[in-house]
Amino acid sequence: MKELFPAKQVMGFVFSLILTAVALLVYFMDMSFELGMTVLLVTAFIQAGLQLVVFMHAGESEDKAAIYTNVYYGLFIALVTIFGTLLCMIWGYI
Amino acid sequence: MKIDNSLPLEYSTEENRLKILGFWIFLGAEIMLFGTLFASYFTLVDRTAGGPDGAEIFKITPVLIETIVLLTSSFTIGLAIHAMRLGKKKAMLAFLGVTLLLGAGFLGVEIYEFVHYVHEGAGIQTSAFTSILLTTLGTHGAHVTLGFFWGLFILLQVKKRGLTPETANKSFIFSLYWHFLDVVWIFIFSFIYLKGMM
Repeated sequence: MKELFPAKQVMGFVFSLILTAVALLVYFMDMSFELGMTVLLVTAFIQAGLQLVVFMHAGESEDKAAIYTNVYYGLFIALVTIFGTLLCMIWGYI
Repeated sequence: MKIDNSLPLEYSTEENRLKILGFWIFLGAEIMLFGTLFASYFTLVDRTAGGPDGAEIFKITPVLIETIVLLTSSFTIGLAIHAMRLGKKKAMLAFLGVTLLLGAGFLGVEIYEFVHYVHEGAGIQTSAFTSILLTTLGTHGAHVTLGFFWGLFILLQVKKRGLTPETANKSFIFSLYWHFLDVVWIFIFSFIYLKGMM
């Protein structure tokens, strides 16, 4: 039975629950918008990285470099889209 | 077909390895898809046209249930792949079954939430905010629905054919998809729900 629950994945799961609890602080505590967004950005991106490395085994095969390059490229385009849109639709008019 | 027995089953042929790489490339495109949805959401979030805003319609309880359920299902699909690599078909099927049940539970809560939104007067045509909110949540929910049936068919196939290089490869690729949906949910949870209720 024990071999079915590898320590690495159990720890990963516990850590992801802790990150969720930390993110929830922005709801239960009175925080400024800037502080709250910082907490959310940090917890969300750590959580995403955790899933990628611990659960998705992104680095285990010989295609590691291609897989990471592709993920970073997708992420780069997504972030440019999001912040570029914010810049020209919202922030540019304040 | 050259089979390399030193590798896990799902990587044992070159075709299998390339299918996994190909699926990662698809996931890269999915990151960009959800990126565009988030870009639209952040642009339109304040355009409520006299209708309700996020703080009025979001409720923490269903959101928390969805988050915990999806995080747990991401954990159990990881355990399913681990059991598969140990060659334990029964344990693998059990974990996959639990994953699918949790997925169905997630969808149940999400459907309840959508009904609640419509009752609160936040239908898809109410305002720019509700349109992009329901489009973003709905795109994720549609992915989970697709994943539920995909996983169900894989479960049946593994049950019938056992763990072969082919079924192991399909199961592994399905696990990548499921973990990815959990990652997207984390961003929805943080930047739609928690940000809206902050």
